[in-house]
Amino acid sequence: MTSLTIVRCGPLTTLQDAGRFGMLRHGISASGPMDRRAYDQAGVLLARTGETAIEYTQGLEIETDGTLEIAWTEARTLLAGERLVIPPAAANYGYLRFSHELDVPALLGSRSTNVTVGLGGYKGRALKAGDRLTLGPPGTALSGGASPHKDGPIRVLWGMHADLFDGAVRRRFAEAPFQVTTSLDRMGVKLADLLGVFAGLHHLSLVSDAIVPGDIQILGDHSPIVLMRDHQPTGGYPRIATVVSADLDRFAQLRPGAEVRFQPVTLEHAR
Amino acid sequence: MHGTPTPTLMPLGDSALLVRFSDTLSDEANRAAIALSRVLDADPPDGIAEIAPGLVSVLLRTVPGADLARLRGEVMLRMGEVDGAVAPANHTIEVSFDGEDLGEVSHMLNVTPDEFIASHNEIPVRVLATGFAPGFVYCGFHDRHMVVPRREHVRPIVVAGTVLFAAGQTAIAATPIRTGWHVIGRTRFQNFDAASDPPTILQPGDVVQFAAVQ
Repeated sequence: MTSLTIVRCGPLTTLQDAGRFGMLRHGISASGPMDRRAYDQAGVLLARTGETAIEYTQGLEIETDGTLEIAWTEARTLLAGERLVIPPAAANYGYLRFSHELDVPALLGSRSTNVTVGLGGYKGRALKAGDRLTLGPPGTALSGGASPHKDGPIRVLWGMHADLFDGAVRRRFAEAPFQVTTSLDRMGVKLADLLGVFAGLHHLSLVSDAIVPGDIQILGDHSPIVLMRDHQPTGGYPRIATVVSADLDRFAQLRPGAEVRFQPVTLEHAR
Repeated sequence: MHGTPTPTLMPLGDSALLVRFSDTLSDEANRAAIALSRVLDADPPDGIAEIAPGLVSVLLRTVPGADLARLRGEVMLRMGEVDGAVAPANHTIEVSFDGEDLGEVSHMLNVTPDEFIASHNEIPVRVLATGFAPGFVYCGFHDRHMVVPRREHVRPIVVAGTVLFAAGQTAIAATPIRTGWHVIGRTRFQNFDAASDPPTILQPGDVVQFAAVQ
C-alpha cells in the first residue's frame, strides 16, 4: 500500500478522527479534532475520505511513495516521489485528510491520539519527522459543507459553579478582555486575566466532578483555563462557564496574544 | 430507593446534562449516583449518547438536538426505578505498604505505620468512581478517624499502581499521573488496559478489600 513520510511537522502534530466517545466512565476523554469544522471542511473536498486526519500545527511537509488523494484547505493529487509543503498559517491547527483510512490500530473504537495519556493514534504520541504512515481501506463519501466561522465574542453558557462566583465577578467576566497565552495545548488553553477579574477569588474546596470540552475553570493561582479536547475527565477547580460547541472550534484557533471576550448566552441560543 | 436524595439537573455546556445529588462528597450521594447510572445503563433514554457516573453525579452526554426538557422528565421518572439491590462484585487488592508518605500520614493520625495499615485494611471499601485519569479509582470511605488532607504540593509523576491516600479515601493510579495525594504504597493490580474493551476492571459500586502483601 501507499505510504507517506513526515518530512517536517510542528509540535503537537497528531492523528485525529472524530473522537473516542463512550469512554468517560473509564476516565478517558474523547480527544478528536481541536477544530471539528476545519476537519469536516477538509473531508468534504475529497470524493471519499478516511476518518483519520493529520492534525498539524505550524505547517506540514510530507512525501509519498505512491499516489495520494489528499485535502487540507484545498484538494490535490500527490504522485509518487512528490512532496507536499503546507506553509504555516494564521491558525493553530490544520487538517490533512486522505481518500483512505490510515493504517494505525483503532484503540477503544478510535484512532485519535490522546497525548496526555499516550493513547491511540501513532504509537500514542505526537508525530515527528521520519514517521511513516501507510494507507488502509478506502474511505466513504462525505456530504455537506460546514457553516463559516462567526466573528465576535466567544459565546458561553454559565457553568456548574457559576453561582459560587459573586454577581460582580460574573459581570466583569462577561465584559473583560482576556488574552490567549503561549500555554496552550490539546488539553487546555490558559488565558491571561488582563483586568484581574478573578484576582480576589477565595480558594474553593469542591468535590471533583465531570468536565466537558469548553469548560472555563479558574486555577488556584486565579488564572482561567479553557479545557479542550484532551481534557481530564473530571476536576475539582471551579468552573464559571462553558464555551458553546459551535464556538469552541473558533476558540481553538486563536493564536497566543489574541484578545478574547466571552458572551453569556442561553441554552436556546447555544444550540 | 428509600432516602435517595433529590438530584439537581443542570446543563453542562450545550451537549450534556449533569444529574448531581450533592455538592459535597457523601456516601449517600455517591450511592445514589451509582444506582441511577445503573438504571439508565440498563435502558438508556432517547437522546443520551453516553452515561458516566461520578463521585456525586451522573454525566449524561446528549446527542445533537436532544430534547433536554423531555430528558429531564425522563431522568426524574427513572429515579423511581432505582432500588439499589444490585449485588456488587468483590475484589481483593494486595498492596505493598511502602509508600514515601506512609510515615507522615501515620504521624498525622497519631498511629504507627503498622496501626495505620491495620486500620486501612480493616473493613472493605467501595469503588466510589473512576475519574481524573484512565482507570483511576477513588475507594472509600474509611472510618472517620482516617481522614487526612491532601498534600500541599503536587508530586511529579507517580507510576501506575501507586496507592494514594487522602480525604478518607484510597485511590489507585492506573497510569502515570501527577498527584497531590499521599503515596502510601504500590500494587501490582492494573485497573487499566487500553487493549481490552472495556478497558477497566473496577466498576463504581464494586467492593474492594485491601490487603498487605505478605
